Amino acid sequence: MNDSTTKLKTLTNNIETIIRGKPQEIKYVVAALLARGHILLEDNPGAGKTVLAKTLAQSISEGTIDFHSANGGVAFKRIQFTPDLLPMDLIGSHIYDESKKDFVFKKGPLFTHVLLADEINRASPKVQSALLECMAENQITAGETTFQLDKFFFTIATQNPIEMEGTYPLPAAQLDRFYMKISFGYVSDAVEFDIYSNYIAINNGKDTVKQVLTYNDIIHLQQEAEKVYIHPELVKGIVRIVQGTRNHQEIALGCSTRGGITFIKCLKAWALVNQRDYVIEDDLRTLAQPVLHHRMIFRNREASRTALHQVVDQEVNRLAKMGIQAKK
Amino acid sequence: MDSGYKQERFQQLLIRWVLVVMPTIAIGYITLRFLNFSYTSLNTGIVSQTVYFSLGLLLAYSLYYYGARWIVSFIILWLLYLLVERMINRLPGEFDVFYATARFQLYSTLFIFGWVFGFLLVRVRWAYLILFGVLTTVTLVSTSNTIDISLSYILLHLSPVVVYGLYMLFLSPLLTERIEIDFKRSGKFFIRVGLFALLILLAFFITERLFTGDLKAVEKELAARGAKGKNNQDGSNKDDGYDDRNGLMDKTDDGYRLKDTMRVNSKMSQSDKLMFCSRLDNYFPDGSPAPLYFVFHYLTRYDREKESFTRDVNVPSFDEIEVDPAKIPMYYSYIDTSVIRKSMANKLRKVTEAQVYLSENTWKHAVLGPSSVFSVQTIPVEKDFQKTFLSAYKIYSFTSELNNAYFVYNISASPMLEKIQEQRHDELRNVNDYRFVNKKFVDYYTDYPSGGIYDSIAKLALSLRSKASKPVDKVIAVRDFFLKRNENGKRIFRYTLKAGAVDDPNIPSSKMLYDFLFKTHAGYCTYYAGASLFMLRALGVPTRFTTGFATINRSDKNKGWYWFYASQAHAWTQVYFPGYGWLDFDMTIGNEDQQSAPKPDGTPPLPPPEPWLVLNAKAESVSKEKKQLDASFGSLIYFNSPYLLNKTFTRPIDASLCRVLYNKRDTTFAAIKPGDSLIIVSYKDEAKKIPQPVAGVSIESQVEKFPTPIIADEIHIRGKDKEAKKDGKTGKTLKQQEKKMTWQEIGWLAAKISSGIILLLLLFPMLYLAYRLIRVTFAREGTTKADHVYRAALYRLHMAGLERESETPLEYAQAKVDPFLATTFEEFMRTYLRLKYAQGNLRAEDHEIIKRFSSNAGPAIRRKNGLIKTTLNYFNLLRAIRYFQRPQSTDNETISL
Repeated sequence: MNDSTTKLKTLTNNIETIIRGKPQEIKYVVAALLARGHILLEDNPGAGKTVLAKTLAQSISEGTIDFHSANGGVAFKRIQFTPDLLPMDLIGSHIYDESKKDFVFKKGPLFTHVLLADEINRASPKVQSALLECMAENQITAGETTFQLDKFFFTIATQNPIEMEGTYPLPAAQLDRFYMKISFGYVSDAVEFDIYSNYIAINNGKDTVKQVLTYNDIIHLQQEAEKVYIHPELVKGIVRIVQGTRNHQEIALGCSTRGGITFIKCLKAWALVNQRDYVIEDDLRTLAQPVLHHRMIFRNREASRTALHQVVDQEVNRLAKMGIQAKK
Repeated sequence: MDSGYKQERFQQLLIRWVLVVMPTIAIGYITLRFLNFSYTSLNTGIVSQTVYFSLGLLLAYSLYYYGARWIVSFIILWLLYLLVERMINRLPGEFDVFYATARFQLYSTLFIFGWVFGFLLVRVRWAYLILFGVLTTVTLVSTSNTIDISLSYILLHLSPVVVYGLYMLFLSPLLTERIEIDFKRSGKFFIRVGLFALLILLAFFITERLFTGDLKAVEKELAARGAKGKNNQDGSNKDDGYDDRNGLMDKTDDGYRLKDTMRVNSKMSQSDKLMFCSRLDNYFPDGSPAPLYFVFHYLTRYDREKESFTRDVNVPSFDEIEVDPAKIPMYYSYIDTSVIRKSMANKLRKVTEAQVYLSENTWKHAVLGPSSVFSVQTIPVEKDFQKTFLSAYKIYSFTSELNNAYFVYNISASPMLEKIQEQRHDELRNVNDYRFVNKKFVDYYTDYPSGGIYDSIAKLALSLRSKASKPVDKVIAVRDFFLKRNENGKRIFRYTLKAGAVDDPNIPSSKMLYDFLFKTHAGYCTYYAGASLFMLRALGVPTRFTTGFATINRSDKNKGWYWFYASQAHAWTQVYFPGYGWLDFDMTIGNEDQQSAPKPDGTPPLPPPEPWLVLNAKAESVSKEKKQLDASFGSLIYFNSPYLLNKTFTRPIDASLCRVLYNKRDTTFAAIKPGDSLIIVSYKDEAKKIPQPVAGVSIESQVEKFPTPIIADEIHIRGKDKEAKKDGKTGKTLKQQEKKMTWQEIGWLAAKISSGIILLLLLFPMLYLAYRLIRVTFAREGTTKADHVYRAALYRLHMAGLERESETPLEYAQAKVDPFLATTFEEFMRTYLRLKYAQGNLRAEDHEIIKRFSSNAGPAIRRKNGLIKTTLNYFNLLRAIRYFQRPQSTDNETISL
């Protein structure tokens, strides 16, 4: 426990040296990583999404080198999504190898540990679904061959707000694959001043970011996260929240069961990120928005802001008023 | 997981059945009981009623618990209702459709009530308040319908509802918070509920102890006020048209009565008040109604000292029936045949029946009727007429065929009447003198003072005698004297209410009579009656002064019905003719100058149904549910014949369709208490199997053949012991007091209860704090302690004004509490959350953290707010309510669909 706490602290501190004023978002990303999930960052261009993804990847890998880097780091690939991108640009394709007189499969950028899928909503739905399939299945099928991806496969996707032009909004079913969706928002003026004062550091981030964790560290932390204890009352609370979203009149599409499972995974990871080996009611409240909100369809804009909060607040309040339950 | 969750939800439903639905059913049962006592229409059996109510309640509660949509369910319910109603209406003829429909309506109403209650209990946050309001109203309405209403009675009836309300108030935060109640550990919860019940009982006990003296004082005060109100009524009466000093009537508690002594005074007051109405079975041979004057009293003696006519008990052959009709039991007769003998008449006499309906204005303790009433039977007033008439009786009088209301009054109204007058006078000319009449009798009734003005009156009378020798001619001579006209053809005597030139009523009345006869020639009835009495007595004709009511036949619309207003109070003379008895001769001259607009006659009351059986009974046992009672009786009236039984019978009485009266006013069956003496009446009804009386068989063996149970149509409660003592305190005034007292009492009670509840509510935050702190003090060290410290802290901080809104307790501690109070709440919260959610056990330092915060929180709040403000904060009821309120529930939104 203490070991993983230190490791996580080092990781977050390392990222925080680059990304200023966003400790919460950093934690979200780390939590998604520990929950073996994928994360979708949504914000206006220039808010630091890509930098965050890159910094994270670099903190745990040496750079954009091999699939298995020599020093135990993880591989990091980045794809810039554009409307003319094709699935095989991601997956790879069979290329005729003259020496072998045969078609060999040339692996695409998806064969990596950390993938930064930049501006995912710029690509055509075909490409999006190709990406999302391998995110969900952790495998890639090209032709007749199925390639198993490494068990550590973490996608950080970014997207511009869907209202912007030239985008292909992700359908709800695909959004569901992302464990979390967070939005960045602007930093406070003090932080912004600080950033401008040190912008050189950001420019040359690649040089300043140190690798602090190894591949094995991450796998170990992921295992640690799974061991985090979640109280049955909290599980019950999650059931109520999930069902509450289904029964809420302002919510057209409630949370799926997969959403609930994801929620529990994320809660555990989040607890670990916060140096706890147990989940508390506050976690439910904190994570409900990034984990559950993007899985639902609301009837109107107002509901999109308030409905989930209503359900969660009610449940958290119930838990808060509940006394200590006897240990079972 | 799924089935387990479902099962758990079902368990929760079961617990709610026990905690919410069962008490509601119980309170429904109690309320229905009260309703059943008060309203006969509900008479379908309380158990079945409760079953339908609870069915609706249970079904609705369970359905809505599982999230049924209310509009849909209500529409289905409505459709179902329509369908069943249709089906019932199309039942084959042999079924009693009406009965089935009525029952269906009742049951469906109860079902729907239960349904709505169930719905409210699941879906509406303040449901228990609505329920409390509804139940209180129903209980108050049903209790206020009872006659012997008292504070303790209302308390008794209201207490279940109050307890229920408090119980639900206590329960609602627990249930609305949707706190899961674990079956395995539910014992603790039930202990708490039980403790609460004890607390309520204690509170009730204390309230009762504290307020009993108070309540008694209130009751006393009310009684006193009632008496005072009565006095005020007397006092304030001065301006309602009556002048007590001079009128013919006295105001009493029970309405107006004619004076026992009659002074001839200068003024007489008149009023438009309806005194009574009567149906008189007296007709002329041609069938037109023959009105008779209604006699109240005979004033036989002239008191020279007081100069007034008075009643006299030592009258020879006094033919006045002396009974208080108000004391005659319902349907019983008081018969005094000595009246017939004492009337000393045998020629041209007949028995005349009359029904008299007394209004609230009339003094009801004397018989009003034509002269020589010998039988009085009390009869009930039909329900629709009870507003106008308080009591009624049927009288039989031994009436002379020669008697009628016409003499001076209306003398020339019709040739027929003149002819009848002439016939009467011809008949009476058979009487030549009083030689064969008892001398003592004649002396008494011709007693005439001598000296002074009396002599001059006698002289005047004797001057009239020259023309007449027979008694009737003397009477006619006196009449003619009053009808004499002067040379201008104008009457010498006139009628006026402002009699005489003298305004001072204290001038001796003989002087006034003298003035009337010789100077002013103007007066009202007592002047004419007094003057003619003096003159006739001076002429040796036995005469008496009669007070009563002049009967006016205003219209022939309701033949035989006469209406008597206060202005018809009258005085006239009765003259004795041997063989014919006492006959009315009214010398009063009609008021030619002013004819007041005649009053319209009202609608005559319906005659009451004929009873075949009247039991003078005592209630032995009363079953309020079945509306049955066992009555023992020793006397009865069977087909109008009264019997005294040689032993006491006890029979069940079916009073399910019965009208219950007390003080001749309708009340409810609930008013009958065991031990009350009752008059039980059963009407002649085709549907009943009435045993016909058999001649020659003893009444006891006939009673044996009476049906069981005896179906009662009316029950008159006679013997409320306390009421019996307050004799003569009945009638409208008492009724008004009663009603007023009732509402005052209810008001008082409501004030008491609500102030008690408010007090309890105001103290509730304090009490809850005390409870929380006690729990902290006595909690076991460790987890339990942490739990109680946590709860106490949340409550205290909330009440200190730091209300937690939507933030979690940890955020609350970080953001709101610690920065303000410099407490270690956050540190405590972290420990607490770990204890609550983590698997690990208590650590050594945790004790320290818990203790530190626990001892720190109170002083920190006091430091911040000050002692006074901290204390005052606990009276902020709204804040306390907010603490227990549940957050906006998603369940609620399904209501607005």
